[in-house]
Amino acid sequence: MLRTSILRAIQAGKCVRMASSGGKDLPATRYHEAKRVEVDEILEKTPEKTPVKVSADETMDISGVPLEHIETRTARIFKPAKEATQTPWGNTLAWRIELDNRQRWENPLMGWSSTGDPLSNISMNMKFASKEDAVAFCEKNRWDYDIEEPNARQIKPKNYGQNYSWNKRSRIGTK
Amino acid sequence: MSLASSVMRMQMPRVTNLVAKRGGATGLMVHRDTKENNLNTKFKFSEDNEKRIKAILANYPEGHKVAALIPLLDLAQRQHGWLPITAMHEVARILEVPRMRAYEVATFYTMFNRQPVGKYFLQVCATTPCMLRGAETITETIEKKLGIHAGESTADGLFTLAEVECLGACVNAPMVQINDDYYEDLTPKDMEKIIDELKAGKQPMKGPYSGRLAAEPFGGLTSLKEKPTGPGYGLQAALK
Amino acid sequence: MHRVGGQVARAAARATQQQRTMAAAAPAAPKKVEVFIDGKKLLCDPGMTILQACLLVGVEIPRFCYHDRLSIAGNCRMCLVEVEKSIKPVASCAMPVMNGMKVKTDSDFVKKAREGVMEFLLTNHPLDCPICDQGGECDLQDQAMTHGSDRGRLQSRYDGKRAVEDKNIGPLVKTVMTRCIQCTRCVRFANEVADFPDFGTTGRGSDMQIGTYVEKFFASELSGNIIDICPVGALTNKQYAFTARPWETRKTESVDVMDAAGSNIVLTHRTGELLRVIPKINDDINEEWIGDQSRFAIDALKVQRLLTPFVRGADGQLKPASWEEALFTVAAKMRETPAELKAAVVGGLTDVETMVALKDLFNRFNSENVMTEEEYPETSGGADLRSNYTFNDTISAVESSDALLLVGTNPRFEAPTINARIRKTFLYSDIQIGVIGAQTNLTYEYDYLGSTSKAIDDLLAGKGDFAKTLSNAKNPMIIVGAEALQGEGGAAVLAKLQQLSTKLSKDKNSKVLNVLQRWAGMTGALDIGYKAGTASLRKKPIKFLYLVGADEGKISRSNLDPQAFVVYQGHHGEKGAELADVILPGAAYTEKEGTYVNTEGRSQRGYPAVSPPGEARTDWKIVRAVSEVAGKTLPYNEIKELRARMSEIAPHLVRYRDFEPSSFSKQALELAQTGSSSEKELVPKQRDLPDYYQTNVISRNSQLMAATKRAALDARENPYMEPAVTQAAARA
Repeated sequence: MLRTSILRAIQAGKCVRMASSGGKDLPATRYHEAKRVEVDEILEKTPEKTPVKVSADETMDISGVPLEHIETRTARIFKPAKEATQTPWGNTLAWRIELDNRQRWENPLMGWSSTGDPLSNISMNMKFASKEDAVAFCEKNRWDYDIEEPNARQIKPKNYGQNYSWNKRSRIGTK
Repeated sequence: MSLASSVMRMQMPRVTNLVAKRGGATGLMVHRDTKENNLNTKFKFSEDNEKRIKAILANYPEGHKVAALIPLLDLAQRQHGWLPITAMHEVARILEVPRMRAYEVATFYTMFNRQPVGKYFLQVCATTPCMLRGAETITETIEKKLGIHAGESTADGLFTLAEVECLGACVNAPMVQINDDYYEDLTPKDMEKIIDELKAGKQPMKGPYSGRLAAEPFGGLTSLKEKPTGPGYGLQAALK
Repeated sequence: MHRVGGQVARAAARATQQQRTMAAAAPAAPKKVEVFIDGKKLLCDPGMTILQACLLVGVEIPRFCYHDRLSIAGNCRMCLVEVEKSIKPVASCAMPVMNGMKVKTDSDFVKKAREGVMEFLLTNHPLDCPICDQGGECDLQDQAMTHGSDRGRLQSRYDGKRAVEDKNIGPLVKTVMTRCIQCTRCVRFANEVADFPDFGTTGRGSDMQIGTYVEKFFASELSGNIIDICPVGALTNKQYAFTARPWETRKTESVDVMDAAGSNIVLTHRTGELLRVIPKINDDINEEWIGDQSRFAIDALKVQRLLTPFVRGADGQLKPASWEEALFTVAAKMRETPAELKAAVVGGLTDVETMVALKDLFNRFNSENVMTEEEYPETSGGADLRSNYTFNDTISAVESSDALLLVGTNPRFEAPTINARIRKTFLYSDIQIGVIGAQTNLTYEYDYLGSTSKAIDDLLAGKGDFAKTLSNAKNPMIIVGAEALQGEGGAAVLAKLQQLSTKLSKDKNSKVLNVLQRWAGMTGALDIGYKAGTASLRKKPIKFLYLVGADEGKISRSNLDPQAFVVYQGHHGEKGAELADVILPGAAYTEKEGTYVNTEGRSQRGYPAVSPPGEARTDWKIVRAVSEVAGKTLPYNEIKELRARMSEIAPHLVRYRDFEPSSFSKQALELAQTGSSSEKELVPKQRDLPDYYQTNVISRNSQLMAATKRAALDARENPYMEPAVTQAAARA
């Protein structure tokens, strides 16, 4: 887009280097002759976007997705669990969609993993800021869905002093 | 990188085992059964020490016997000369703590010897002030005289040599600690004398060998020579 | 440790009395503390640490030694933050919040401090990430990227890096101690959660090591969790060693079936192969831990599997057959056998879907003869009333309980995650625990009340100190093992416990009586109306027996008609398959979508991570196929339809993850028949650690579990193992 409009600008004689005071139609060849032009001046105005209203039903009617990947699928909308092997909780922030598992098999030729499911990767690649977004996506694709609320993280106050409390069993001599 | 520094690096020998050598008797941080140190090593507190244990335990409130871990390990070491694993087990049993708690403490403190040491445990301080005052020659003297290196014991089981970090007697450098006593302001000759006396079963003189008292200056006192002032010195007249 | 606890506890008990009286006088109203985190105002509870306060506003502080479920150590220094008016950076994991505190977590000062800490940590950390199993999921790696410097000042030319010899702590956990950064998480886990006090730190300074000092087996049923909590690659999974990187794998969140707690797990798999199991956090059930069986027994899912259907030929040999042949053989026999001579028995690992389909199938043939392999009393209201067979008060309620009675159970091995919670409660509250059953190390102190049901009579009569403790308790709880209720006199034990719990109950919502089941499928089976136990099987010579995963050897040919036809559907060729005339290969719990109701009665859904091997198929679909061939087609083709049917039977079965409280405990009491007054032995079968590792068909086939069991047996012979002192003896 940007590239073509610059090209068009050059063709229209609006080139940066043309805008010099020297030889009338000759392009400016010296740096000091060059005039600074903002990108906006070169680019044409982007036409305003006019949203096309497409109801979810229509999209899937004309999408060409085989029926078996529309109506028979069940999506699970969830927030991934915290990795037990790691400390941070960053991966638990976004909502994800996982479709019901279809059979995978080992490719007899190369030993690679094959699957009959073209949608098996969506849980790894799609993130949703909210579950409503995920629901909307499922509805658009006409998948059934279950929403699984995440286990709330509990933060119970604890303190260093417990290690040394005088008469509590939390005093364990390991340090 | 400057030329000088690169030359220096080339000449500098690669020392990788410094810590182990310095550690001396500290040794491994894990236990391996040896001929002297295994589960069959006999250890039982003597009757006198049993009484001492009672007295020590009386210092601590109920439920906090574990606080007596260091005194009891020390007692065990004094009785046995060093600290076999059975002694740690015995201490843990008396204090009703897991054995690991005893291992942890015994490995943390370098004054607990978990390997056998000789009757006389020579610990030569090799930290900077002592080193500058000739600690290395003291070590060499001992090595030559006894035919052992740091971390080793003599065949008769009388002496063990260790190079240790600062023992806090820098004013009297160089110095060596033999069992509980400090021998300070040493020259190689003094060191030889000490060893000879120890071999003969005599108790060598403790403290500085330079003839001075404790850490006083060599050439007599340079300050604090006047009579100590009494109470009220320097107070405002109004307060007197 | 427990013995230290012993002394402290006695002092604590006295102090508690004082505290209680004081607490009654002045109920403390916690006043919120105002803190500013990066300029954001926050009101939080007093006593919280800065790190926790930061979590509340979503600011993640980098850390190594701090762990949500362990005590605070404060030794890694990675969590340094700037607090206004403090000259030095502050270790946020150990510093409590104070009113008006202004914390900066991202200032240049903090960044510099963290960079410095990181440099120190890396001076002795080997650069072996490419060959380290933690690579890709390593806290040190990640935090070195975000908070570290691009160069260090270590003069390794002169000193070299520290190297530490590896420790052998058994067949489950691999150690590469040179990588250790001494965060002591594993030491705290071992001492606080697993009660394995042999783990500690030896030496000092750069010589400090983590380990057991003397080589020994990490004797705990929770040992695998130290792999997860290790922030570096010092402790890794031996089974998973050099297998995969986390970014190559797919993760499926599922439910564990090794015990009835229904721990939440994450199955890691790649190219259709299950690689490992790690826990999924669920504070209601397993917190962050899983038992070693749940984690390591998965190698059995690749051996001794039934891959094709088998049909017993005329010569009496089982021969591989096609599905058609097998299904038609089963259907034909099923049709020709009269209803009263048919029976089905399900094993403890069966999912609810399969059980519902199987029951529906048998009902179509006018047979109600469906039962579980595991026994449970039928009298005294037994399995008819839900409050009689579930963990009514929920697992998390253990934490607020102040007196706990364990009857005929060893939760340590029957449900390690529940036991971890009891131990946590033991450490952080003044809970009093009494045990009727075996005198074993449960990882906490208890009053031993006896080994027979006479002890329950004594409690009912109010005899003994513990009876007083129970009746004075605000939230008493009784946990009874399912094993204690089996056999003769089991119903009487249940009835007595019902009476006792009614007596103790102070609150309408607390049922006091909690049953700890042993099998993941048992509660679900009872929920949908399976008969408990195979006793009724023996009354009539059964001619057609359908076994689903019944591998505990409770049934033999001698119990059946000599001409009996036995169908076995399951995933492992074991005791059940030996009996069979037709074998239908089914799927294991990692290979099918299934519902499991845990001992609380909480239904949870497991998801398939991999496909069933060979010709094996999802279990409920096999039952559905049998029904079609037998001419009584079940009305569900999809799992959705089957679940709709499940919700007709019992709606809670599809209300996933919710706890469904049971009612009718009053009626249960009315039905209770104390019956015989004879004494019943209540000593559970699983007493010592070696008893833990192989308890079901999966773990029995696991080579790793066998090796671990051997290691646990050998460890008993290791003279350096901590002498086994029973808790009660220490207390007396």
